[in-house]
Amino acid sequence: MIEEKELAKIVGTTNVSREPETLKSYSKDISFVNSVRPECVVRPGNADDIKKIVKLANETRTPLVPVSSGEPHFRGDTIPGTGGAVMVDLSGMKKIIRIDRLNRMVMFEPGVTYGELIPVLAKEGMRFSMPLLPRKTKSVVGSMLEREPVVMPAYHWDISDPLGCVEVVFGTGDTFRTGAAAGPGTIEEQWEAGGAQQEAAGPTQFSLYRVIQGAQGTMGIVTWASAKCELLPRLEEPFLVGSSQLDKIMEMVYWLIRTRMVNECFVLNNTNLATIMANKFPGEYQDIKNSLPPWILFFNIAGYDYFPEKKVSVHIHDMKEIAQRAGLEPVQAIGKVSASELLEAVQRPSEDPYWKLRGKGACEDIFFITINDKLSGLVSAMNNLADAAGYPASEMGIYLQPIVQNANCHLEFNLFYNPEDPAEAGKVRELNTKATKTLMSNGAFFSRPYGENTDTIYSSHASTAAALKRVKAMFDPNNIMNPGKLCF
Amino acid sequence: MPLKDYVRETEICCGCSCCKFIPLEKIKEYKHSYVCPSIAKYNFNTYAAFGRLAFAKNLVDKTLEYSDKVLEVIYNCQMCGACDTSCKYAMDMDVLEPINETRIKCVEDGQTLPVLDKLVASMRKQGTMLPGAKAKRGQWAEGLGVKDITKEKVQVLFHAGCRISYNKDMWKLAQASVKLLKKAGVDVGIAGDNESCCGGRAYQMGYREDFLNQAKKNMEMIKKSGVKTLVTGCADCYNAFKVLYDKFDLKGSLEVLHTTEYFARLIKDGKLKPTKKVALKVTYHDPCRLGRLGESWIHWKGKEIPEPVRLFNPPREFMRGTNGIYEPPRDVLKSIPGLKLVEMDRIKEYAWCCGSGGGVSETNHEFAKWTANERITEAESTGAEAIVTACPWCESIFGDTIKAKGNALKVYDIVEILEKSI
Amino acid sequence: MSLNKINKELYKALEDVLGPENISEDPIVIYGYKFKMAPEFAAIALPKNTKEVQTIVRLCNKYKTKYKAASTSWGAYADPGVLGVLKIDLRRMNRIIEINEKNMYAVVEPYVIYAQLQAEVMKRGMLCNVTGAGSNCSALPLAAHANLGQLSISCSWGERNLLGYEWVTPDGDIVRSGALESLGEYFCGDGPGPSLRGIIRGDQTPMGGLGVYTKAAQKLYPWTGPSVFPGEGVSPHYVSQVPPNFMIRYYHFPSPQLQEDAMMKIAETEIGFLMMGFNITMVTANMATSNREERELTKTWMPQVQGPGCVVVIAGNSAGDFEYKKMVLEKIVEECNGKSLPLVEDPKNAGGFLYRWTRPTSSIRECFRVGGGGMGAGAVSVSADNYPLMHKWVLALAPYKADFIKRGYVYAQSTDPPVMQLMEHGHGGHCEMLITGTVKTPEANKAMMDFMEISKKVAIEGHFGTGYVWGDKDHDLFGPPTSNYHLWLRKVKKTFDPNGLSEANSYISAKE
Repeated sequence: MIEEKELAKIVGTTNVSREPETLKSYSKDISFVNSVRPECVVRPGNADDIKKIVKLANETRTPLVPVSSGEPHFRGDTIPGTGGAVMVDLSGMKKIIRIDRLNRMVMFEPGVTYGELIPVLAKEGMRFSMPLLPRKTKSVVGSMLEREPVVMPAYHWDISDPLGCVEVVFGTGDTFRTGAAAGPGTIEEQWEAGGAQQEAAGPTQFSLYRVIQGAQGTMGIVTWASAKCELLPRLEEPFLVGSSQLDKIMEMVYWLIRTRMVNECFVLNNTNLATIMANKFPGEYQDIKNSLPPWILFFNIAGYDYFPEKKVSVHIHDMKEIAQRAGLEPVQAIGKVSASELLEAVQRPSEDPYWKLRGKGACEDIFFITINDKLSGLVSAMNNLADAAGYPASEMGIYLQPIVQNANCHLEFNLFYNPEDPAEAGKVRELNTKATKTLMSNGAFFSRPYGENTDTIYSSHASTAAALKRVKAMFDPNNIMNPGKLCF
Repeated sequence: MPLKDYVRETEICCGCSCCKFIPLEKIKEYKHSYVCPSIAKYNFNTYAAFGRLAFAKNLVDKTLEYSDKVLEVIYNCQMCGACDTSCKYAMDMDVLEPINETRIKCVEDGQTLPVLDKLVASMRKQGTMLPGAKAKRGQWAEGLGVKDITKEKVQVLFHAGCRISYNKDMWKLAQASVKLLKKAGVDVGIAGDNESCCGGRAYQMGYREDFLNQAKKNMEMIKKSGVKTLVTGCADCYNAFKVLYDKFDLKGSLEVLHTTEYFARLIKDGKLKPTKKVALKVTYHDPCRLGRLGESWIHWKGKEIPEPVRLFNPPREFMRGTNGIYEPPRDVLKSIPGLKLVEMDRIKEYAWCCGSGGGVSETNHEFAKWTANERITEAESTGAEAIVTACPWCESIFGDTIKAKGNALKVYDIVEILEKSI
Repeated sequence: MSLNKINKELYKALEDVLGPENISEDPIVIYGYKFKMAPEFAAIALPKNTKEVQTIVRLCNKYKTKYKAASTSWGAYADPGVLGVLKIDLRRMNRIIEINEKNMYAVVEPYVIYAQLQAEVMKRGMLCNVTGAGSNCSALPLAAHANLGQLSISCSWGERNLLGYEWVTPDGDIVRSGALESLGEYFCGDGPGPSLRGIIRGDQTPMGGLGVYTKAAQKLYPWTGPSVFPGEGVSPHYVSQVPPNFMIRYYHFPSPQLQEDAMMKIAETEIGFLMMGFNITMVTANMATSNREERELTKTWMPQVQGPGCVVVIAGNSAGDFEYKKMVLEKIVEECNGKSLPLVEDPKNAGGFLYRWTRPTSSIRECFRVGGGGMGAGAVSVSADNYPLMHKWVLALAPYKADFIKRGYVYAQSTDPPVMQLMEHGHGGHCEMLITGTVKTPEANKAMMDFMEISKKVAIEGHFGTGYVWGDKDHDLFGPPTSNYHLWLRKVKKTFDPNGLSEANSYISAKE
């Protein structure tokens, strides 16, 4: 156990807390993960602080739980898995370190949120590939490290995008920079030479950024990340397409992404779209929902610096041909939702309250990766499971996000519930557990295991778990980094 | 050039494995992308040209000693030249020549397979490598009233070849050829019983001296006869007379044509008119020694300028299979009313071998049949009713393979189809 | 006679597993794999599936015998660094396992080559990235090197295209990544949790040093050209037409900066289907069917370029899309004072160039035909941070090349960088300074070896990046200034190959 005074020597007394209310706030989140109170919370200001903390943790075998986003938390990954843990809260590290327009890169610390990053990039004529309406307090680094899906599949070449390089303090206490950031030379020397820490792979014959992503802080603590940016469009034309037939929608999605004509592109069911657009519940929400078909595809066609009008007009023409072949009609508004309003919404973080909490106060997400052939079956299976559990499928939100340029698809079910209602909460919790098992056997790959279902997920990935344990032993031999998470 | 002078080629080889495949631009699909039967069947790299060039060096410097395995590897190759063609799409180097020289070295070192020794001994004695030949060489021509070139002056010599001469079932091919030539007004004769093996297959097997003996003997007879043109329906003989004899400066001014070349010419000139319908869907198999190995020998004597760019003085043209005989057989087929020609995936300069060349038919008939079976399967995939070719060795192995498989695909020589239409 | 053998019991056990026809230590078989100056393998094994590979690896661990797997074995990285090594030749593992058209990915075994895969996916309106060295390379994005190529601007590259895969670890476990383990599907190779893709390769692959990759899936990309490669004619003179809504040009620019600007803009505007910075010698070599012809073409065309250049292919999804891309391209070229080279633009030649770079069969002409076998000083390359930085590095090396030409060590060729590319529409860059066709005198040889060392020194001191680094010596050189990555890479090696048997002369050893 690290003594508080030792931590205070590193970060200053104001950045170490053992206040009961503070500790309580880190001991629990919206997930069903057991509440475990940390021993204290420390707020480092820089990489050097972090390195010292990790060194101390190794000496005393103190578990560390890194967290970079603000509340509310949802996944249980930032709740300590064991007692005596120290929360390493990076949310105060808010430097946007460097913007490189030439190479379309940005480098920033873990505490930077989307709301903070977007306007700074916009000044340089750039934008960032975002997930769907992240909460205001969501850390961009955190989101990238969690491999959250982004809404622009054309720019999602690889599941790791838009992450570039990271600087990490491993569980051993060693600092390492991944990819091109590794060197040769310091970061400053690289900048001097023209480096932008763009290439994530490497250095040489491994790509350690990939074992840090998805690790839920079990390998080390990231002190900054570089990430890819895209250009800010000069002209945008968003569209909506509604249908009761998911297959038709996905046929159109296939062609839109294949031709790389669209930026934002995702599918929501009416529950989710209404939840996103409504400010008042249940009245306005219900009105909006009633005005929508079961499935809504949203996409955006954009033009840039060179002949933007020509690009947009050509691509709208081509898009309409695709729509016609699929038997669908792209429009600028469906029911009470306009495409341009939705576009505006999805290009920034969610307004408060976070959209998933607006309706009932809590939400349990079930999400995984799959492929097009399995989508309908999985939706059907989940609907049946929900109904059987007494959770009306019609109240469940569904979000389909083609990722990796549609090599696969993120499918997400959002179970909204009242956290004050134990019966409803219990229903949702059981449904989550049951659904995980059933969906796994129907083609769902849970690439990001969280909370109570982690063991279930890893039970089907024995060889991966065995290999990951070997990796863990390299980077965190004393198992101080967020122990009890994943398969560790 | 002896093998030791080809060690340079082994240094030039960059190990790209193109020798295993048809020219990569020509790959239309996964299946039918290999071109080397040897690596396709035996898998170890040593069976591909890549490996053959590599170990050739070891034979020369004697770090590799002869053994049964060495002979097995060396002789499990149809000498089809596909590796040579594929390599030369991009590289300036010889591949088939050093592979052939490896065999010549084996023979010179007294190291070959007994069955080949027997065949060549038969050739020395009887003028043919076909063992147990019962019939007389010229017997197929009885009753045709063809001139004998040893007795009368003729313009054109029809050379039947061993494969046809000693197989009664195949006599019809020679008979049809001669009949068609005569019908077209060609002043054609044969050597009859005086015809002797061209020696080409002996050369492929490494028996250089025996080949040269045959070649000299044949050319003496031809020169004496005053014949200007030699025409044959066998691709092996065609390659021997046209290419190998020229390589050793024995051909002189003799014009050598394959029957398909001659027929194509005669059809074009209106001297042969295919008018009868032959309602058949066929696919054409390019025999190796008519196709990619049927182009004229390029004489060159000079020096390599190896550095910094591999050039030659005087400038050297490589034989790349570009000028093989691909169109004349197709022209003949296309001239036949009612005949539908569909192409296989591996054709022309990148055709898959029938399997019987290089002595493989004799030393490893299983491998020959395996190779033929691959080709038959490819032919069947076109939906053709028949596979048509222009070499009795190809026809023979195809016929054997189809019989063993028991399927419906027919095998024809082009001359049979043409005869039906005249 | 072969100079080395494997343990007799091991050999017998391998015969039992593979059948005697699929294992050999016969000298003629061994010599058939020997590449240039490398030591020979002790025996060659031909497994037919993953289980056999696993059994071989476990047996090697039992008998403490080094092994090295390869597919087509093109290059010195396929060779052993020491004697007594068993080669695992993956030739019999040559199937295309799956092509998923809806989600656009393909799964292959190691001995499928890119030409085969591309032919199959083209039939279905798709394309795969192809290793720039040639479509004769293995189609596994885990085979050798980087798996970057001319198409990488739009079709990315191996480190990024990889989805699910199957891996026999150096000590004989089978890891089936991601969805493959739980679902038997290849669509995702990441997780659950961290991705082991981070261990199994980096900007380059371990080239035999980290076990055996037995299957892998890769992303596919759209193809709007014909379903079959259209070349007419007879080798080597294949002729093709440019398909509708495609265009190929070679643009040359008055300065390296303007070339860089043009390439960056083309990347950023996302109009490029294929793009590669090539100097004129690479272009003429691509077209020429012999060295002599290349010399003549170079003599004619080198004086006609104003400076460095790049080949660009644009491909439209529709006539309108093509027209837009063409407008953008021409505007960019105009802004950067670029000119189109008639040799490539000529309709008689354009189709041939397009197809020879789409299915690169021509890298052999461009690099290996010149002097055969090796490439003189070889490809000296730096792993990319970004394209402008890589460009600076190759420009820093250009004077050395010019000096070599002046001294007669290499043949007269352009000193402009021969290989420069952007990946993923500019989110990545790569450059190589190739020097081909060297004189084989002691002075020239020394100069080339020195040049390799100089390029590394320049990369380190100039903070340009790591080279194509493999082997302990280079890792020990680049490691210390590069976050001591080599120590971590050694840990990876030690962790997954505790017995040190996956032969690592092209990877890293676990030495302390």
